[in-house]
Amino acid sequence: MENPIYTLGVDVGGSYVKVALMRYFHQSGNHELVDKQTEKIRKRNPKDVVVDAVNMVLMRNGLNQERDIAYLASTGEGEMVERKTGHFYSMTSHARGGIFFNPEAKTVVDMGGLYVRAIKVDSRGKVIDYKMTGQCASGSGQFIENISRYLGLAIEEVGPISLQADNPEVPSGICAVLAETDVINLVSKGLSTPNIVKGINLSIANRVVKLLGSLRAESPIALVGGMGMNEGMIQAIEEISAENKRNTFKFTSHPNSIYSGAIGAAIWGGYRYHKLKEKQAVLAV
Amino acid sequence: MNSLPKLIQQCKDLAFDLQFTRSREWKAQEEGRVVVGYMPVYFPREIIHAAGGLPVAIFGGGDRKQIIKGDAYYQSYICHIPRSIIDLALDGHTNHFDGYLFPSICDVIRNLSGLFKLNKLGKFVKYMDFPQNFLPEIGGVFYQQEMQHVLHYIKEINGKEVTAHDLNHSIALYNTNRRLIARMYDIRQEFPWRMTIEELYYVLRAGTVIPVEEHNDILEQVVAHMEKEIGEPQDKIKVVVSGAFCEQPAVGLIKAIEEAGCYVVDDDYMLGSRMILGDIDPSTDKPLEAIANAYIHQSQYSSSIYDVHNPKEYRLAKIVQDRGADGVIFASASFCDPSLLDAPIFQKAFDEMGIRYISFQYSENINQFKVIKEQVGAFSDSIKLWEDDKALVIA
Repeated sequence: MENPIYTLGVDVGGSYVKVALMRYFHQSGNHELVDKQTEKIRKRNPKDVVVDAVNMVLMRNGLNQERDIAYLASTGEGEMVERKTGHFYSMTSHARGGIFFNPEAKTVVDMGGLYVRAIKVDSRGKVIDYKMTGQCASGSGQFIENISRYLGLAIEEVGPISLQADNPEVPSGICAVLAETDVINLVSKGLSTPNIVKGINLSIANRVVKLLGSLRAESPIALVGGMGMNEGMIQAIEEISAENKRNTFKFTSHPNSIYSGAIGAAIWGGYRYHKLKEKQAVLAV
Repeated sequence: MNSLPKLIQQCKDLAFDLQFTRSREWKAQEEGRVVVGYMPVYFPREIIHAAGGLPVAIFGGGDRKQIIKGDAYYQSYICHIPRSIIDLALDGHTNHFDGYLFPSICDVIRNLSGLFKLNKLGKFVKYMDFPQNFLPEIGGVFYQQEMQHVLHYIKEINGKEVTAHDLNHSIALYNTNRRLIARMYDIRQEFPWRMTIEELYYVLRAGTVIPVEEHNDILEQVVAHMEKEIGEPQDKIKVVVSGAFCEQPAVGLIKAIEEAGCYVVDDDYMLGSRMILGDIDPSTDKPLEAIANAYIHQSQYSSSIYDVHNPKEYRLAKIVQDRGADGVIFASASFCDPSLLDAPIFQKAFDEMGIRYISFQYSENINQFKVIKEQVGAFSDSIKLWEDDKALVIA
């Protein structure tokens, strides 16, 4: 029976730190998600948040970093992770995380706190091509968070409430800076909260589908990142995609999609651990 | 011996002191001392030292100075460094400088020397041509004459007649300086985690604004620290950064490359301090000839050197091989003709040789590096994860 190795992936985003503990069986190539942890950064030092989140996962599983973790991989804002073995670029990590959730996926859409990125991947998780939204924060998870705050909703409520919409109105333009004013305008027009949220989701979904079109994306498409857990957003993306007869995509999502970066980094960490071991063995001969 | 963090901080403070305080203090310590500013890339500092002067590099204001006057002198499609250099001078940052040297790099720097003359900055302004003919009896003699001109300017200020003994003493000090710098790079090649490229940059850049004796003392201490087992290795690729660096990138960019998953095992950020490879003969009765010959026979490749018989692309490829680097990062200053004209030559050769590379442009005052970090991160991952696939080239 093969002894697996443990690897940790730490994804430092704009709003959250996500940690994934993975178990990797080298001979079979199987990966298992053992544990996970999300911490909101709020106004804390991200380095401290990382230490707390990692320690929490290690403690829960009775592990010690030096003794038991073969590779600690950072992704996202990697400089916030001080005791790491290596760093992977966030697109590389999310691409691999998407393949972990759906091994059949040909495209991965990372819908994170700061941007949306559509990534074409091969079956190994290698990035083939990508397109992403610009610098503007509209159409990002942070934008949805702002909207939920203005509407007095908890972030967890945003997805389910969007599903209750019966007559959504898509705003003509969305600007993260002017979001509060936009929301006030929609409320003063008498729109219900579900219809406002759904309208905003549809507006973002429209951008996502356009992004996929410009990438010439292929299905199935794995939706990952924080917004990949938002069922209202997923519904909106599916609706917009269905309206577009030339590009009808098939989407998949996963309840752990927020961990895609952390999981992908941990998986690549396992790969690099064995690769480096092989190189050392060659050098030793 | 000072601690490494203390030495790094000291170097950082010196390197980015836009008031050039150490040279002011040095000048005030003794009557008749001469401070000479020089522009990038390379100048034989030995001759200024031998003449009783302090050579001080002027690398521009970087991202630490708002340019107001400088923009009036240069069009928007010209690189950034000349506007920040003239801005520094016109704002009085270099009022204590006695003269300015403009080594031959490009037309922009040539024009900058003209602007310094028009504005009557310093007691002398010298645009210094470097030999493009690499025969000692032609280019070498010409170069010696150029150095004699500089010595003449300084003599007019302090009356000092420079002897062979003075020059040999200065050459020996700069030989030590070059050896210590080379040692730092050699240690980093094997143990790049012992000091970051950002810290190394501070240490080298500090040496361009202080007396060589003080810099040698700092370097000896830094090397002693680097010889010890310090720091923790990380899983990163090794790269060489090449940019014909006259205009310096912001520190954030230098840092971003390593943060994105690379160890920089060689670079040409401070090319001037490493231009001469190895020692210059410090025991000859013709020291100017020795300096000229060192430039002709021992100089590093550079975009400002015409080297048709010793192509730079093969020299850079040799550095990549010798350093055991996985790839090259080409960074060119926006609108930098020498660097951008070299880029296709390097890239064509590297495509043929199968050396992986990426390239981007920067400006000294830009401090948003997300896009560059992403490009470098993708490059690093492509080597770490897909090194067995066909070489990836992202231009």
